[in-house]
Amino acid sequence: MKIIKLFIDENIKTWKKLSTKIMLIAIVLSLLAVLGIVKIMEKTEGKITTSYIYENQEEYLSQQIEYFETQLQNDKLDEETKQSMQRTLEEYKLYLEYNVSPYSDFWKNEIIQKIVDLKQSGNNPEKLLKILKENNFNEYINYQKQEVKLQLENNIISQQEYEDNLAILELKEKYEIGKDGNTDTDWKANIINGIEANKRSIRTGINQNTRKLLKAEEKQKLEEQIKISIYRLENNIPDASNGSNTNYRMRYELLAPMFSIAVISIAIIVIAGGTISNEISTGTIKFWALTPNKRWKIMTAKLLSILFYIIILVLITSLLSVAIANIFFEENGETYLYCKNGEVQEIGNTLYTVEFYFVKAIPVVLFALFAVMLSTITRNTAVSVSFSVALYIGNGLAMQILNQFITKDWIKFIPFNNLNLTSKIFTNSTDMSNLMFGSSFATSTTLGFSLAVLGVCAILMLITMYDSFNKRDII
Amino acid sequence: MSKVVLELENVSKTFGKRKIIDNISLSVKEGEVYGFLGPNGSGKTTTIKMILHLIDSDSGIIKVNGYDTKKQFEKAMECIGGIVENPDMYRYMSGIDNLKLHARLRNIDKKRIDEVLEMVELKGRERDKVGKYSLGMKQRLGLALTLLHKPKVLILDEPTNGLDPAGIKKLRDILKEIAHKDGVAVFVSSHILAEMQQMCDKVAVLDNGKIVKVEEISQPKEETTEHVELRVKNIEKTVKILKEKFNIETKIDKDILNIVLPTEKLPKVVKELAISDVEIKAVIPKSHTLEDIFFDATEGGKNENN
Repeated sequence: MKIIKLFIDENIKTWKKLSTKIMLIAIVLSLLAVLGIVKIMEKTEGKITTSYIYENQEEYLSQQIEYFETQLQNDKLDEETKQSMQRTLEEYKLYLEYNVSPYSDFWKNEIIQKIVDLKQSGNNPEKLLKILKENNFNEYINYQKQEVKLQLENNIISQQEYEDNLAILELKEKYEIGKDGNTDTDWKANIINGIEANKRSIRTGINQNTRKLLKAEEKQKLEEQIKISIYRLENNIPDASNGSNTNYRMRYELLAPMFSIAVISIAIIVIAGGTISNEISTGTIKFWALTPNKRWKIMTAKLLSILFYIIILVLITSLLSVAIANIFFEENGETYLYCKNGEVQEIGNTLYTVEFYFVKAIPVVLFALFAVMLSTITRNTAVSVSFSVALYIGNGLAMQILNQFITKDWIKFIPFNNLNLTSKIFTNSTDMSNLMFGSSFATSTTLGFSLAVLGVCAILMLITMYDSFNKRDII
Repeated sequence: MSKVVLELENVSKTFGKRKIIDNISLSVKEGEVYGFLGPNGSGKTTTIKMILHLIDSDSGIIKVNGYDTKKQFEKAMECIGGIVENPDMYRYMSGIDNLKLHARLRNIDKKRIDEVLEMVELKGRERDKVGKYSLGMKQRLGLALTLLHKPKVLILDEPTNGLDPAGIKKLRDILKEIAHKDGVAVFVSSHILAEMQQMCDKVAVLDNGKIVKVEEISQPKEETTEHVELRVKNIEKTVKILKEKFNIETKIDKDILNIVLPTEKLPKVVKELAISDVEIKAVIPKSHTLEDIFFDATEGGKNENN
């Protein structure tokens, strides 16, 4: 009961401070800054794709052809260069002839490549030329299917590989991947490529990235990812981390947590770093110490109020982030997908954003504890705040460097190697800060292990601060 | 006989190798204003901090209203209020908000807050930020804060620091009122003697961590003898007259004569001296008691040290 009253007092005290209000404004500004950046991206990128290539395509291609023809007259060139030039020249002629853009119309690009290949190996590209002339996407898929079948019959590929390839082709057919230079299907193409890679990994039993043998659970993970990818295609849910995603809302959603959680962290560290030391330097600690409350209760109330402050800030920020996204973007935001008992489940955008923010804020609690601990021990606000902020900003980079030099296994016990919980809880999503500062140990430990390491860390810090606050004199 | 509400038994405290408080014992009764005198650095504030359990004593027992401050901390703190060094409050909050913080912790209603504000004459200014208060107002707000829960023991560390004479008088009146009316034991530390003499019922003198003297202070009453300081030109003649005609012993300190005589004799002495052509420069009655106590007590300690 007394702790609750102390807790209420602590909160009143914190919220009445001017600096608290300034911090809230800073958080809102960080969200607006991200919005601004993404909006600028949207404008500039949109201009490049529309204006540059399409209008001057014919002129551009004929210029290129002319250039290559004059170059080929040059005797000084060696045979190899000449051959590649010859090839490019032929491609360009085809582009010009069939009015294909080399920078979009991806399936036609593929056909042209294949035609040139066939010509060079002395085969007749008649079928492909016909497809190109008729602009028949489905026919091209059929052509590829026959190609694959032929490979199977000639024992170039296994039955399994044949089935996988066929499945991919069917997906491409269904979602018209690459047809008509439609950039909206780029993300689908990327997803299908991902499916292809995952299928290949499962087939060969080797992880394509690390070149190591797949473990059973890794294999299951890949299968789940394939299911999720297909679910994305079926329900038209783009993938936020996808580079060719033109959904700018998702870019905002990637960047916003990184910025705003950084601002929240610093705000919290500033508050936490002054909990005890500020009160001692202004003498207001006596205000509490002279009430009939034992010291540990005062400390607990302070810690709880910081925790409460984190929760409130994160909740406000995440909801505000969703609101901003809803107001300023027309697209749908990211929907989180995961597999449960073989079924794909969805978490809606708002709920997912809030959850993601909260998971991302778990490290903030640890840094706050660290700041409180320093504040209690050193009784110096400047030292505890600056040290904690430095640690918060520098730990990612420091760990990246350290992890490169030390390859021993014990390095995974370092708490900073266990801070990116988002990638462990939301395994199918991307955390922008992990992309930028991701350590090599980011995914190698399990969620349980990371939480255990962080938990031990927190307990040690709590013991230190309680001990110091209880036993030392208040002067 | 009134009850003892604050009791120190053989309390000691050492910082490093220096013994700040050396085995002190004292007891304060209900309704008593107890002065705690001592030169700077004698350990007054340390003692007060130990009573309020801001710092731990090394040995000895401190009891507030019968509760041991170490073992029954929360119960002891229910009965005690105090200001140590400065009345520190949250400067960015208004006076009443500061009071409300405390009131919540102690289950005190709004009526009592008003009452206390009235008592310290801060009514009307309670919504201003504490940062804008003058030192005197801060002191009074600090007092209001400690009086909120009607403590049985009130501990004040140099409460008159920075107050103007009117403020000091006001404070004195408040303290006397709560002590004598409400029966609160008020424990006041100070190094200003005159102030203590007017305020306290009992004084303990602390020097080098030891209580060297405890003295009841007789409040102004009809005194039969008076201590007078005489400044005259012809010292020898004066001494002679005093000795022969009035049988008064004189203490000579350079060119000042100190005499003690029955109050009613003073006009006669002056008249006699004037008639005898002694040039009188000044006749100064001295209210001496506390100062004497203080110097008698502390100077001995200093000599030992040197």
